[in-house]
Amino acid sequence: MNPVVGIAAFAAVSVATAVIGFYGLRISRTTGDFYVASRTVRPWWNASAIGGEYLSAASFLGVAGLILLSGTDGLWFPIGYTAGYLMLLLFVAAPLRRSGAYTIPDFTEVRLDSRAVRRVTSLAVVVVGWLYIVPQLHGAALTIRITTGLPSWVGSVAVVIVVCLTVVAGGMRSITFVQAFQYWLKLTALAVPIVFIALVLAGNGTPAMAEANTNPTGLAPTGPYQNISLLVALLFGTLGLPHVLVRFYTNPDGQSARRTTLIVLGLLSVFYLFPTAYGVAGRMFAPDLAQSGRSDALVLLLPGRLIGGPAGDMLSALVVAGAFAAFLSTTSGLVVSLAGVISQDVLGGSVRGFRLAALISATVPLGFAFMTDSLALAGSVGLVFAFTASTICPALLLGIWWRGLTDAGAIAGMVTGGVLCGGALVAGALSGPAASGAAMPQWLAQPAAWTVPAAFAVMILVSRATKDRVPRTLTKVMTRLHTPERPLATER
Amino acid sequence: MTRVRVTAPQSAARPVLESREAAEESDVGQVFVRSLIRTQLRLAVVVAGGFLLILLAFPLMLGLVPGLAESKIAGIPFGWLLLGAGIYPVIGLSAWLYIRTATRNEARYRDLAEDR
Repeated sequence: MNPVVGIAAFAAVSVATAVIGFYGLRISRTTGDFYVASRTVRPWWNASAIGGEYLSAASFLGVAGLILLSGTDGLWFPIGYTAGYLMLLLFVAAPLRRSGAYTIPDFTEVRLDSRAVRRVTSLAVVVVGWLYIVPQLHGAALTIRITTGLPSWVGSVAVVIVVCLTVVAGGMRSITFVQAFQYWLKLTALAVPIVFIALVLAGNGTPAMAEANTNPTGLAPTGPYQNISLLVALLFGTLGLPHVLVRFYTNPDGQSARRTTLIVLGLLSVFYLFPTAYGVAGRMFAPDLAQSGRSDALVLLLPGRLIGGPAGDMLSALVVAGAFAAFLSTTSGLVVSLAGVISQDVLGGSVRGFRLAALISATVPLGFAFMTDSLALAGSVGLVFAFTASTICPALLLGIWWRGLTDAGAIAGMVTGGVLCGGALVAGALSGPAASGAAMPQWLAQPAAWTVPAAFAVMILVSRATKDRVPRTLTKVMTRLHTPERPLATER
Repeated sequence: MTRVRVTAPQSAARPVLESREAAEESDVGQVFVRSLIRTQLRLAVVVAGGFLLILLAFPLMLGLVPGLAESKIAGIPFGWLLLGAGIYPVIGLSAWLYIRTATRNEARYRDLAEDR
């Protein structure tokens, strides 16, 4: 591919991001602006922003790559990513908004009336955020290497620099506009090239679709245990993701939090049709990418392969721009929510503290990204979901729906889930750089199916044993979480 | 009737909410609140369970009915169509049903709580 294409696409996305970010700077002035855009973001903007933030490297590059590798088994990833939002709508969206808290640690502190719970939750949020940023940086490294031939580290460093500049400059208000813009950019970047490809193929007479069922590599298909465990991770992991939940505080009330989630479900459903189409097209026309271990680059390379000449270059530029939009938006969303947590808990909650915290939250994962090898993108993000589902998710679900939860129970459950799932991740990473899951036992490669129930069980048992620690504020908090806000007309 | 000292609300930004909570923390108010929480939880569990059953039924159907996954609609194998596109309308429909019912439950709660 022409290296100019990749560099131009990255530069264009970065400039657009920065311009929207700096434009937002003029509207955000107070600490409240920085954290939650003063809770006045409209559902469509907010939903687009959630979509923009959520569709990461794993969705943009990883899903198509995985479908290329493993066929219909790969389809469980986009299904899980979308259905996770259904769970979030059913169990978390409105109560979380009504809690009035800014961040997940705020929520657990208010609900359980305990500073210790707050600290453990903050720790879990920071670990999840850092783990989640690393695959984004790997994706950026891969994209820069494939499209421009520059060394991999350039991609990761460039993403971190652009994210730091925009977050430090504008905070959440401009982030909302940036993220909303990036959802629509990502959708366009996948949709336009695949429509062109379909038109060209229809003109040439398409080979039979049956070829999509042939397996390009000798890898065995994943078993039912792996698929079920993956679904557990994705369904329960989504409702604990810090950068997704922080978005719900920007809705004016619980009702609009639900409406926003419904729109998000629509946006995600439309989006995931396209990576699926790329995966299917890849199985027919680019099986060599799977054999040479470059399946994650499928989305980037397919338009150039099937459509040559300047038209191919233009379409390639579009997908590269979309890919960088994915890395930038997810990373900046995570950095904002991490910075919110770190600045409130460690630096006193000022705007200056927020900026410093943003720098810390973006640069630490850069170190991790340099130290680790890139796994398959969709797979490594799936493991982050497993960790979230084993730590933050049980505390949120039981906190919202069960009166019996105590601070001791929440801490014990989160620590158990974190240690079990974290242990499985570390053991998996150490058991070989191949890390394809072939050599690893299945229960270690995909731990969610047993770590999530374990975390729930410990949380419930310890809470039962420490009944006297149920907070005295319980009645008040539960009432606030579940009763509808009064409509303005009848306010007393 | 006991006298209480009137102080500033804990958070200046949410005075309305505080007074609303004070009213709803009475014993009768709590009966309504508890029943609302139970209703909403039951609704969420039913919708989630129904969705998961459908989700489970899709691959089972493809596995158990021979030839179904390979049969084609408009040139696309049915298995790909079902898992790649067919699940999303089910997710959207579940979400829409949930929101409609949850909103109705809240409206009913509000009527009860305000009639008091």
